[in-house]
Amino acid sequence: MAGPYEIFVLIKQVPDQGSKAGLNPDGTIDRAKAKRMLNPFDRYALQAALHVKRTYGGRVTAISMGPPPAVEILLEALEHGVDRGFLLSDRRLAASDTLATAYALYKTVTHVGKFDLIFCGLQTTDGDTAQVGPQLAERLSLPQVTYCEDFHLDDGRLHARRIIEGGVQFVDCVAPALITVANSYHPLAYKSFRGAWRVQQLQRNPEELGKYIRTVDLDIIQADPERCGLKGSPTIVAATEKVGELGGNCSMYEGHAPDEMVGELIEKSNLKEFLVA
Amino acid sequence: MSESVNLAPPSDGEVLVIAEQILGELQPVSLELLGAGRYLADKLGGKLSTVILGDNLGDIPKKLIEYGADTVYVADDPELRTYRTLSYRRVVCDLLETFKLPPHIVLLGSTTTGRDLAPRIAANFETGLTADCTELDIGPYEHKSKVDPSKVGLYEGCLYAIRPSFGESLKARILGPWKNPQMATTRPGQMTPLAPDANRVGKIVNIPVKLQKEDLRLVVAETVREVSKGVRLAEADVIVSGGYGLGSKEGFELMHELAKCFENSAVGASRKVVDLGWIPYEHQVGQTGKTVRPKIYIACGISGAIQHRVGMSKSGTIIAINKDPDAPIFKFAHHGIVGDVYQIVPELIRQFKDKLATKGEKTVVHTH
Repeated sequence: MAGPYEIFVLIKQVPDQGSKAGLNPDGTIDRAKAKRMLNPFDRYALQAALHVKRTYGGRVTAISMGPPPAVEILLEALEHGVDRGFLLSDRRLAASDTLATAYALYKTVTHVGKFDLIFCGLQTTDGDTAQVGPQLAERLSLPQVTYCEDFHLDDGRLHARRIIEGGVQFVDCVAPALITVANSYHPLAYKSFRGAWRVQQLQRNPEELGKYIRTVDLDIIQADPERCGLKGSPTIVAATEKVGELGGNCSMYEGHAPDEMVGELIEKSNLKEFLVA
Repeated sequence: MSESVNLAPPSDGEVLVIAEQILGELQPVSLELLGAGRYLADKLGGKLSTVILGDNLGDIPKKLIEYGADTVYVADDPELRTYRTLSYRRVVCDLLETFKLPPHIVLLGSTTTGRDLAPRIAANFETGLTADCTELDIGPYEHKSKVDPSKVGLYEGCLYAIRPSFGESLKARILGPWKNPQMATTRPGQMTPLAPDANRVGKIVNIPVKLQKEDLRLVVAETVREVSKGVRLAEADVIVSGGYGLGSKEGFELMHELAKCFENSAVGASRKVVDLGWIPYEHQVGQTGKTVRPKIYIACGISGAIQHRVGMSKSGTIIAINKDPDAPIFKFAHHGIVGDVYQIVPELIRQFKDKLATKGEKTVVHTH
């Protein structure tokens, strides 16, 4: 089978860590107030999925799990050329750890249907674990290629280059497979005017939009609520503690002209010991 | 009374480290994990075991004993020469199935291999896994949440998997006390290996390799290591790192220019600018990047969030340049300049060049 391919891409909405909105005085994040964004790593997964569609033909389905506002990233995905989106949203998913999340996504993926390739971002910026992709692959009994930074398809066979410590590995396998895309892959192309316009039109017509983006809950995907959320999570955050201050004896140089401050720094630090000859 | 009953699952306190080799070369993180695993096993009163998979492993099992393992499970088979998710997963899961009681704890490195394999094993056994821990310890836990009343009570000997938590200057202690093995990964460079002892006694056990056809679905055509070509963050004496305060991708040209002033230097970066695509991932320092210990670390436009700090706080001298006098980095840097990177760094480069021009080679000390 040389295409067209049925392509799934899993994306997540995360708080924008660059924005100060929603940052509590003690440094914790108020997720309700924080600005939201598409997980930066998922942009590479989207690019990979769209690349397959454009090069070999096929359909791209974006799948996400999160509270209702997460529909924003599915719209964003449509603007980029994704064909349809599914949002799994259910209060019973609150406090899911990676294992419970992977279970819920597994039920969503099997609900959506057959696929050849599943693309995920390498990890999310709010969890940083890189676990959900492989845990989903385990549930689906799929081969996986993590840290993938380039690939091509040849008659249904995936040929990929993945990062390893101090090098790379060239691997191949027959689809179906799950791929997590490293951020050394091609960045997401700008959305087309046409894509943005189309989504704008869709947003004016909720009924029409419903044909492209569907929201599902645990009942629709026939997931066991006991295996989701806090109950289905084998790990819990038992405690948080402030990180103790290190050093605390910073010699500060401020309020003077740059040349004076730099001169003083060079004088007082050991920088000069390391200069090139 | 019921309050003192230990609800933790039955365990003999065994800690299992999944060791790692690439092209027959034992990875340093495995020795670090043995150091951490020894501490945990001693605290639990259990044994420390490790499993190594590969082809023609030679002296590796013996070395694992020297570094603290009591038992080394060895899977030596041509099919295991190179790491592959499904075949390694099969052998490790088969091994764990043979245990009368599951190991109390299973540890892996947060390497491209460990982060690929650990979630598969955790999902297969439906057990908890905590990624990229910076500290590991053992202790009790009292569960009070009544969401699931059957879980309320005291658990002894829990793995405390400690990692910086998202976007915060907080550390989170993550536990999975209900089920063994309790799993965690740690970054290379975070844990300390024991001093090797050639007289340590341990057991080497060969384990069966029974791969199924479906385990061989993925083929490794080639493994290429380009150690010399890569970014040598781990070995650099001086690291010049750039963050979001640089304002744009072009700021890294200035970082490279400053780095060139030093012998044996490298350019690092914060996670945020790697996410933004300003510089490739291999430059990233921090919890999800590399852990570094250079003699000098120059942080330019880096705020010093905990995720970055855990990757560089062991540097010899930390020099921070930041516009914001309240940036957290000034709380742990040794020298801090409050100012615009685009004014301070060119001035640094200019004064270095002046120094070299006027004093010549006399002031230069070679460090390697």
